[in-house]
Amino acid sequence: MPDLSDVSATEQTADIVPEVKPKEEPVPEPRPEPKVRRLNIIGRRNVFFAVSLLIIIPGIISMVSRGFLLGIDFAGGTEFTVTFAGNPSVAQVESAVAAENINGSVIQTGGSGYIIRALPLTPAQQKVVEDDLTRRVGPMTVQQVLEVGGTIAGETIEFALLAVVLASVAILFLLAIRFRNVPGGWRAGFQFGGSALAALLHDVFLLTGIFSIMGKVLGWRIGEIDSLFVTAVLTVVGFSVHDTIVVFDRVRENLRVSQRLSFEQVVNLSIMQTAARSVITSFTVVLVLAAILIAGGATLKGFALALLIGIVSGTYSSIFNAAPLLVVWRRLQPLR
Amino acid sequence: MQLVLSWPVRLIVVVLLVFSLFVDGAGYVYRIANHYPLTGNVPGLPPNFGSWQLYIHRGLDLAGGTHIDYQLTNFPAGQSRADVQQRTIQVINKRVNALNVSEPEIRGAGSNYDRITVDLAGVTADQAQKTIGAVSKLVYTKWVADAKVTNGPEPGYKPAFTGLTGDDIQSAAAQIDQSGLNWVVNISFTQHGGNVFDTLTRDNVAACPGDPNTTATANCPLRHLTIWLDLTQKDIDNWEDPAYVGKISQPYDTACLSAQTPNTLCGKFLTDPITLQEISGGNATISGNFTQASAQDLALGINSGSLPVDLQVLDVTQVGSTLGAESVKLSLAAGLLGLSIVVIFMVIYYRVPGLLASIALLFYAAAVLAIFKVVPVTLTLAGITGFILSVGMAVDANVLIFERFKEEVRAGRTIAAAVDAAVRRAWPAIRDSNSSTLITCIILGFVGPPQVKGFAITLGIGVMASLVSSIVVTHNLLAIVMTGSSFRRPVLMGVDRARPV
Repeated sequence: MPDLSDVSATEQTADIVPEVKPKEEPVPEPRPEPKVRRLNIIGRRNVFFAVSLLIIIPGIISMVSRGFLLGIDFAGGTEFTVTFAGNPSVAQVESAVAAENINGSVIQTGGSGYIIRALPLTPAQQKVVEDDLTRRVGPMTVQQVLEVGGTIAGETIEFALLAVVLASVAILFLLAIRFRNVPGGWRAGFQFGGSALAALLHDVFLLTGIFSIMGKVLGWRIGEIDSLFVTAVLTVVGFSVHDTIVVFDRVRENLRVSQRLSFEQVVNLSIMQTAARSVITSFTVVLVLAAILIAGGATLKGFALALLIGIVSGTYSSIFNAAPLLVVWRRLQPLR
Repeated sequence: MQLVLSWPVRLIVVVLLVFSLFVDGAGYVYRIANHYPLTGNVPGLPPNFGSWQLYIHRGLDLAGGTHIDYQLTNFPAGQSRADVQQRTIQVINKRVNALNVSEPEIRGAGSNYDRITVDLAGVTADQAQKTIGAVSKLVYTKWVADAKVTNGPEPGYKPAFTGLTGDDIQSAAAQIDQSGLNWVVNISFTQHGGNVFDTLTRDNVAACPGDPNTTATANCPLRHLTIWLDLTQKDIDNWEDPAYVGKISQPYDTACLSAQTPNTLCGKFLTDPITLQEISGGNATISGNFTQASAQDLALGINSGSLPVDLQVLDVTQVGSTLGAESVKLSLAAGLLGLSIVVIFMVIYYRVPGLLASIALLFYAAAVLAIFKVVPVTLTLAGITGFILSVGMAVDANVLIFERFKEEVRAGRTIAAAVDAAVRRAWPAIRDSNSSTLITCIILGFVGPPQVKGFAITLGIGVMASLVSSIVVTHNLLAIVMTGSSFRRPVLMGVDRARPV
């Protein structure tokens, strides 16, 4: 019957870890015996789930109702990146582009640098547009011309989605295999894998949701979705699982070592033991990303921001979502 | 873990390091070996070591250039699509070679062999498309009587295919003729082409006997072997339409031909020479009103052969070289900045172990750079980002070990025993988390769009190198430093308190 009583104790999880001393946190390491600062994360899991949902739900609503601000490689069309020798006003450039009748839009990238988006154009038509612009606005240097047809744009989206789905499935099975040797066997392995997958999807939805809000609701250009953004999402997937595995690995080890603790206690202890590492690693990566965000080129800014959000989310989800989810799952489907 | 600390492993690491440094500094090794100054332009760079050329291969977004995706249409019936795609790639390769591009990349793609991707560094989109899309299929025709024909080079006659085309030509060269005044194109046929040409010229001469230079009757159209560019059956079917023939019979216009749609009419006429005598031996000369440039263009067109399919442009990306150089500078700066921040943080937070990890990190950077040069991996903007991110992963393995080390020390182990236990216990987490990243990289490498592939490859290489760097290099350095007792002081090891050793 111990399983049943465990299940019925759902509401009393706050009491499971007896020595909750939140005030102890700023105090230096207690000595000399090994003591880990114990916050009861498992007990307050509903708070953390709520925080996640609070961010994710508006994002999902925005994704469903507004969609995304698509970059050129997803939307298709022609994009000129140009620098004018003179210092034309935005209005000047806009009127010159409007006169071309190519459904063009103008974005100022700083100083006399502009990005001009238009319908798909043949090389001959591009030449005409370039010549006309030079005539109307003044001499300019064409730094980059991107021309993406609808076929390629569609395929890029398909490939990206396929990659995310395949990576998720592969990670689920990898974790199931690696964690099948904990008590409970394969079923336990899939509980670990499934919880990690849920944390991963949390990060993917949070990131895409925030970008949907930034791009469509707020109308910021940094919220644009292109293949670099897809790369960012996939990196976040990698990092998120990375973090989660470190916590789960500790759970696996502690399950073996501390037989007398309950599952909740083991998980909470493992989170505490790995939290320093998770925060430090994320912090170093965040430092690198901040460097890219500040010093990197304009093309990399959106990318760096996406990674920044994703990595912070990944760290949060591995500590506050993945492990608590594992506990919830264990309660719903008791093993051993 | 004892194995990791053994001397053979240390020897391998040192050899790898020396090799990496040699590869990374190949340019400087070359300069010193040949007594060149260490800066500025010197001949012979990038250096060759044997058949090995060592330098960083830059993708289009960094080097500047043009990327084009082509859709292949109008596959010839009854041939393997894979073969046709391969032949098309060869033809494009030959044409592109004329542009003198360093490392042109022409790859087949598409689910049904129906795509070709072309990457050309330092070439504008305009140049690239003109060169690749040029239509230069030579067609030889003879003339057959047709009273309804009123226009064209030979009124009263219409052309008929002879079966001889540019595909039967081995090579062509633009040269000055014997008089030294006129440009001509000398061609040599393949074995089969030479035989066909022999038969054709013999039949020609037999059709209008006599010496064409003296007898008027001998100068009959039946004795002409006419050369066109890209003449089609549809053109011949329309030969009785004077306006149509008038257009087709204009001198060939490559600009028009390379941009033609089914409804445009371009000049396709090249030359209409009389056959003086039977020509055996497989060589022939095309003369006409050539300039040097037009003779060379034609020779190039013939040499590169004809495309077996039609090419349709799906997308074009052109990157200016200044933008590329700017991106390189910015991402290098970001990478260096990131690396220095990480090193500073590690040293402050973890003291001696942090310093050792930073040294391992430099080993890691040197090794990865060498791998990029040797494989070679073409670096793109996304690829560099993958590399920078893998620095983060490399640090993570170290952080895992060091955090564990602190725990083990707090649990009462001696410093030396704690190092060993920390590496051993951190290993499963390092192994599992990195293998999940590697799996993601492999999937992205296979199914991702091109940009994502570059990222996946550099991240994957980085993750593997980071494993070696953290597990083997850091651990060894730690073990070596531990033998000096003065290093074992807790303050230096970054732990608050530990039992005396």
